[in-house]
This record gives sequence, C-alpha cells and structure tokens, in this order.
Amino acid sequence: MTTPKSDLPQGTLDLLVLKIVTREPLHGYAIAQRLQQISRDVVQVQQGTLYPALHRLENRGLLASEWKPSDTGREAKFYRLTRKGRTYMETETAGWHRLTEAIALILRSAEGEAS
Amino acid sequence: MTWWARILRRNRLDRQLDAELRDHIERQVADAVRAGATEDEARREATLAFGGVEQMKEECRDVRGTRWLDETVQDLRHGARVLRQSPALTAVAVLSLALGIGANTAIFSLVDSLLLKTLPVRDPDGLVLLDRGSWTYPIWEQVHAREHELFDGAMAWSTQSFSLTQGGEAQTVDGMFVSGGFFEVLGVPVVLGRTLTPDDDRRGGGRDGAVTVISYPFWQERFGGAADAIGRAITMDGVPFTIVGVAPAGFFGPVVGGSFDVLVPFGTEPLVLGRESALDKRSTWWLEIAARMKPGQTPDTVTQAFRAIQPQIREATIPGSMSQADRPQYLRDGLTWISAARGKSSLRGRYQRPLLTIMVVVALVLLIACGNIANLLLARASARRHEMSMRLALGASRWRLARQLLTESLLLAGVGAVLSLAFAHWGSRLLLRQLSSTGRPVMLDVSLDWRVLAFTAAVTIVTAILFGMAPAFRAGRVELTDVLKEQGRGLAGDGRRALSQPLVVAQVALSLVLVAAAGLFIRTFSTLATLDLGFDRDPVLLVRMDTMRTSTTPDQRATFFERATQAVTALPGVAGAGVSIISPVSGAGWNHLLDIPERAHLSKRERMTFINAVTPGWFATYGTTLRAGRDFTDRDRAGTPEVIIVNETFRKKFFGDANPVGQILSGYERPRLIVGLVEDAAYSSVRGAVPPVVFVPLLQVAPENVGPRATMSVRAAAGAPALLIRSITAALGEVDSRLSLSFRPLIDQVNASFLQERVIAMLSGFFGALALLLAGIGLHGIASAAVLRRRTEIAVRMTLGASAASVVRGLLTRIAILVAIGVLIGTGISLWALRFISTLLYDVTPRDPVTLIGAAMVLAAIGLLATWWPARRAARIEPAQVLREG
Repeated sequence: MTTPKSDLPQGTLDLLVLKIVTREPLHGYAIAQRLQQISRDVVQVQQGTLYPALHRLENRGLLASEWKPSDTGREAKFYRLTRKGRTYMETETAGWHRLTEAIALILRSAEGEAS
Repeated sequence: MTWWARILRRNRLDRQLDAELRDHIERQVADAVRAGATEDEARREATLAFGGVEQMKEECRDVRGTRWLDETVQDLRHGARVLRQSPALTAVAVLSLALGIGANTAIFSLVDSLLLKTLPVRDPDGLVLLDRGSWTYPIWEQVHAREHELFDGAMAWSTQSFSLTQGGEAQTVDGMFVSGGFFEVLGVPVVLGRTLTPDDDRRGGGRDGAVTVISYPFWQERFGGAADAIGRAITMDGVPFTIVGVAPAGFFGPVVGGSFDVLVPFGTEPLVLGRESALDKRSTWWLEIAARMKPGQTPDTVTQAFRAIQPQIREATIPGSMSQADRPQYLRDGLTWISAARGKSSLRGRYQRPLLTIMVVVALVLLIACGNIANLLLARASARRHEMSMRLALGASRWRLARQLLTESLLLAGVGAVLSLAFAHWGSRLLLRQLSSTGRPVMLDVSLDWRVLAFTAAVTIVTAILFGMAPAFRAGRVELTDVLKEQGRGLAGDGRRALSQPLVVAQVALSLVLVAAAGLFIRTFSTLATLDLGFDRDPVLLVRMDTMRTSTTPDQRATFFERATQAVTALPGVAGAGVSIISPVSGAGWNHLLDIPERAHLSKRERMTFINAVTPGWFATYGTTLRAGRDFTDRDRAGTPEVIIVNETFRKKFFGDANPVGQILSGYERPRLIVGLVEDAAYSSVRGAVPPVVFVPLLQVAPENVGPRATMSVRAAAGAPALLIRSITAALGEVDSRLSLSFRPLIDQVNASFLQERVIAMLSGFFGALALLLAGIGLHGIASAAVLRRRTEIAVRMTLGASAASVVRGLLTRIAILVAIGVLIGTGISLWALRFISTLLYDVTPRDPVTLIGAAMVLAAIGLLATWWPARRAARIEPAQVLREG
C-alpha cells in the first residue's frame, strides 16, 4: 500500500464512530472494518483505542448497546446511536466543517501569497 | 447505566467485555482464514493488532468511573493483611481508638440529649417558656384566660410524686400535674386511648372524673402493654384515677432529664391534696408555664404583648403574705418569655460546664491516642519503605501510595469506631447512673441515634486523618533510589525521629494537662467528701413522713410528730431521734428577715437568717455539740415561755463574742429567750460558709408553718442505719397506719450534694490515667525503637569500651529531655487553660502548685517506667553477636 497512513486528530475518533453507526446498529468488529473501508485505508485506527472509545461513548449515553444474535451464530454486542448521540454528532459535525473550512481557507490564502 | 449499577454489576460487565473482545478476534481470525492465512497465524495477527489486551480492558473499565472503588477495595484488603501481620500492635491501636472514640461518643450522647436536642414534640421551635422559676396557680389561671389572645395556646405543669400505698413505706410513682391543653399545645398524640382535655381539667374532675394518661414505659412495666389498660383505675394518694391514654414511647415530658409515670390534670389536685390544695394559694410557687406561639411570633414579640397586659395579671395575683413594701416591686417586675425548643432543665445549668469540660478532656485523650497510633504507623512505614519504593519504581504515583496509607488508617479507625460503639453504649448508661441519685433519677435518651452515629463517624474520619497524616506525608517523600540502595540497616538512625519525637512531646504535654486537671478535680471532691459538716453523717437515717392521708389536722401535726419521735426513740438499736422541718443539705431552706432593733443598720442581706424547727434530741441525733446553755426539752411547747437556740455564726454576727444564752431575741415572730448555742453545722448545702441559723422548738411553731410533711432523723446505735427501716416502719405504722414513709440514709443525701464533683473527679481521674497509659506506651515505643535502631551503634560503642551503664544513661537522658520538654510545655498550657475550670473547683485554685508539681512528677515517673525495659535490653546487648549479624 503506497498511501501514507495518518493518525486521527485528537477527538475525531468519537465523531467517526458515531457517524458510522448512524445508519444501522453495528458490532465492534464491523465498526473497525467500516472505519478502514470508508477512509480508504487512510485512517489507521488502533484497535486498542476503539473499544475504550466505544465504552466511553456508551457511558456518556451517546451510544446504546444490545446483545443480539449475529451472522456467526454467537451473540454480539451491537451499538446504536441514541437521540442524545445524534444531537451531539450533528453539533460536532457542524463544528468540524467550520473548522476545516477555516483551516482550508487559511492554507489557500497562504499559498496564494507564496506564489 | 447509572453509576451505582456499574459498581453492582461489575462482574457481569467484565464478562461482557471479555465476550465482546473475543467476538472481535474470532471475526478477524475467520476473515483472515478466508483470505488464505492459517488459523494460528491469523490468531497471532489478530491478538497483536489489539496491543495489550489486559491494558485495553483496564482502559475500558476506567471509563466506567468506578476504578477508585476497585482500588479502595484492594487497599482495604491489603490494609487488613498488613494489620493482621502485627496483631499485638494492631490490638493496642484498635483498643486505644475504641476507648478514645467511645469516650467521645458517650459524652457527646449526653451533651446532645441534654444541651442540643429539641423536645420530641411538634414544632419545638414554636414553644416559649415563662422565664425565671415557678409560678402560682392563680397566675396560671390569668395566663390561661388570655391564652388565645396572646398565643396559640398555653399550658402549665408541675411535677409531683404520688404514693400507690395507703400508708407505711411509700411506693411512689413520678407524676406531673398538667393543664388540660398540655397535649394539644405540645402537639403530642397518644399511642392508645385519648389525650387529656380541658374538660378533664375542671376542678374536681370532668365528665370522666379523675383521669390520667400514663407513660409508655409505665404502661409496659405495669400493664405489660395490654390494650385493656385503658379504663382501668390506678389508686394514687388514695384517689382512684381512670387511665384514659398512653403517651408515646419517646415522650418524657417538657423537662429534659426528667420523666413521668402518670400525667394528671391540675383539676384533680384538690382531690389528692384536700385542704392542702394549692390551686387558690397566691404564695405557693409550684408550676411552670409554657405556650405555643402564633405563626410569626417570636419570643420577643410574645414578651412585648405579654407585658402590655402583665399589670392586670400581677394585680389579680398579689400574694397575701407580701409586705406592702414589696408590692410595687412585684407589680413592676417585667416577665420574659424565652424559647422552649429544648425544654426546661435544671440539669442543664448544673451539668453544662462539667459536661463540656469532660468533652474537652476526652477529645484530648483521643488526640493522645492518635499520637500513639501515628507513631506506630510511622514505625511501620519505616519498615515498609522498601515496599513503597519498590511500588514507586513500578509506576505507582505518590498520591496513590499516600491514599493507600490513609485507607489503612481509616480501616484501623473504622474497626476502632465499631468497637467504640459498644463502649459508648455501656459508658453513657454508666454515666447516667452515676449522675442519678436516690429519688432523683436522671432520665436522658442516650440511645445511639443518627446524630450520635454521625458524630462518631465524623470523629473517626478526623481521627484517621490525624494519625494517618504523618505516615502518608512521609510516603510522599520516600526517595526511590535512596531506599533501594540502602538495603537493610545502616549504622545511624533515619529521619523518623524528626516526626515521632514532637509527637511524644505533645503527648506528654497533653497528658500533663489532663493529669493536673484530674488532680484538681479529685482534690475538690476529696475536700468536699471529708468536709467537717458539724454533724455525723454515717449513723443517721432520714425518715420522710407524709401525713396527707392521715386524719391529723394542721394544729395536731407538731404533737403527732412528737408522738412519732417517742415511738421511734423507744426502739432497740436507736440511739436517738428528732424531727425537723428542714432536713440538712437537702437543698431546702427556710429563711426570715430578722428585725433586730440593735442591728437595724445591717443590710437586708446581712439580716437574712435561716430557721429550722426541731424536736428535743435532734442535735444529739446529729452529734452536733451544744456549746452553751441547754437543748430543748419536752416542756418547751405551746403555752410555755418561747425559747430559741442559735448557732455559732449567728452569735458572731449579732452578739460578737458575748454569750447570747439568757438574752432575749425579738427578731422572729415574738420575743424569745435564747437558751442554747450550738456549733455550726451545714444547713442547706455542704458548700460555702454556714449561714446564721436559729432553731425553734417544733411545738412552739405556729401551726400554719408546720406542713403535712416533716423529716425524722434517726441515729443508729451501731451499724448501718438502713437496717432500722423495718422496725421504724412497724413502729410508725402503729402510731398511724395511714402515715406514708420514705427512707434515705443521711450519707446518701450528703453525697448527692456533691454528686457533680464526684462524677467529674471520677471521669477526669479515669481519663487522666488513660492519658498516662497512652503517653507511657508512646514513650515506651520510642525508646524501644531507639534501642532497636541503634543496636549496631551501641554494639560498636560497647566493643570500643563503653560500659553498659553509659549506654543506658545515654538512652535515659534522651527520653528525659523529651519528657522534660513535654512537662514544660504542659505546665505552660495548664497555667493558661486550667483557669477555665475554676468554677468547678472547691477550695483549690486552678494554679495550685502542689497539684502541678505532682502531675509533673507522675509524668517523670511514667517516663522512667516506660524507658526501663528498653534500657535494660540495650544494656544486655551482646556486641559480638550483633556485629556478626550486621
């Protein structure tokens, strides 16, 4: 793989996880897979940090969990977004967009000056 | 999931976490195998991708926010193990804590119930009390008539004991006359039957006749808690009262420290007392008045409103006996209402200062105990330095180590506190029994309620922090590399002394203060107990006679008492008997302003003289010496020339050095011939100077001054006077079978009058001794530790030629210096602090040098004793052996 891998900026893992479970409830492994796929392997999530993040979000009430039978025949823990989690995600997403746009703007204008 | 649910379901959560992670790995392995990897390889990959599984689990647990609890449980387990490792030291620590905390709890439960707690009634803060002493029934009637205009209801009460027997030795119940609105104003319900009502309070009884509400304990004791107690009759002082209700269990009445068995309406008082009824008497001051304020009223506004109508009340109730000169004062005297939230209590005034003093004493004892335990933990902390530095090296934070030590302290304090509750339970009851005297029981609720338990918990935590602070502080300072390098013992001591020596000095200083205080209290008590009272206290028995139920008319009483005296004097084993109206040191008195023309220049106070009326033989019964003249005889009776006997103080005051016998004294009633002079003897109290007293023959006292009750004093020829009770009961039963009697040895009455001093002496003595013991243990500990620590040094010195004596001397000198510093500081504190107890002392000043020097010597002796064994051990060190070991 030639694409360089980036570490996630602080605090963004939570946001990504929330986004991923928006559509349907998923278990931990699926979330990890989805993260990697969506980011086209650019974002490397340490599996060691994913589970603490899931538990933290659950404790804060942003995610809810349920043990359900899964495709393997075993029960798996499925996480889904709570209403509180949705609100949180929306405000955070908006904030994130504002921030990235601002940063992009600064970077663009700086390039302009340099050329 | 809530926080506590996370704690409670910790194990389930852990299992689920395991399952979740396993599921992840299994899926990853399955995917990898599908992609062509071998199972083993795939599993290794998957596990590696996780990093440290255990560490991650730990992080997942952390986000639950319950980690501190897990750690605390760990700490507690570890602490318990450490404490179990040295059972002897732990036992000493736990025991001294149990004693210290228990003493604090016991005293606090008394302080709480006597000084702090409000009455167990509805809205106690809404109650007010008419201040300063007792009131007459006519005054109550005036207040009663205006109760709704002035307040939201008023009530009155007066304590009274009733006899269940018709004659002979009295079986009494504690009762209270109460007004009809008593229950309503207090807002106290009944648990059975009905309350008393204003209708019951009508003179002579209401529709249901004479009724009573009994107390819960009385109901249990007499009727076994039977429901059919309601409607039964109980005969008191010859009057049958119908039981209409049972008061609630915790209700002891409006008097803190008092109690009652029965409550009866004032209206029934004439039935009981007949012609002695005080309901219309304007100069019998016998009841208390309280009221419930209207919403928005304060004691001040109540007082203001009351003073506006007070003149009418005063005007309507002027005592007939009051002289014209005193009336304006009576009319003017402003009455005040004060908050009655905490009830009324005569005990409060008497015991407030002593209790608070003892509270300080027990707090100091606990502080000394803390010193010991801190020292103990410090010693242990030194031994555990290696463990601590090892854990620091492994990544524990200093705060974590300090927290662990504090947890251990809390564990120790907690165990001590649990034990202390047993001690407190027993101690507070013992103390109550000590405060009670015959016929005057002190009833306080000292059960361990939530207030007391909260206090104990607070004390325990403060204690744990106090003694856990030093070691925890040190743990924070352990230098990692130093200790690991140190490896075992060095030649010189470590820095531990820097903390433990000031602790020991403080212990010695505080102990000195306590010992000095105990010395002062014990001297006060022994001075009082051995005072020359002017009479013999041991052989005399007091027989209280009540003629209420006999057919004796007021003018026959004196001769009745004379007949009774003659009947008792004739008994075998009786050396003498006499009746008096005032019984010595009972607290009662009878005074009169003497109008002596030659002494008219003296102030009222100086002319105030005390009176007693006695029968012939009364002085001999008490062993009071006649200094001049003669005793009364059978011929000194109504109709013969009136005579009087005076005491020594009276003579000095009114006659100087002249012999008064043969002179005429015109100050009391009519002119009387002084026929005798007796030595001074205690009158109403054992304390203070004997007042001037005149004695008149009982048979020459105006009938209205001879009440229905009088005290006969009987002197036993040999042995305990109480042995005479049976024969006296029989003899007096023959005089009149309806005469009611109660007995009390004189020594009992005398002792009761310095009960407070006795209890303080006992308590301060006990706690002083405890403080000495604790200080001794502290000194012993520090001396032993010094010997242990310096074994190598001592061995080296001995090898180099130092004698055993010089080694011992060196050790003793160091301890002596500590004790000396402690004694000096303690003396300083004593000189300053002990003046606060001066009002509790009798005939000794708070800075009494003998007591202070004595206390210092006691501490020096304790220091010597505590150092003796360690010093001997030091002297017996075998240098060769020690050095080989090292």
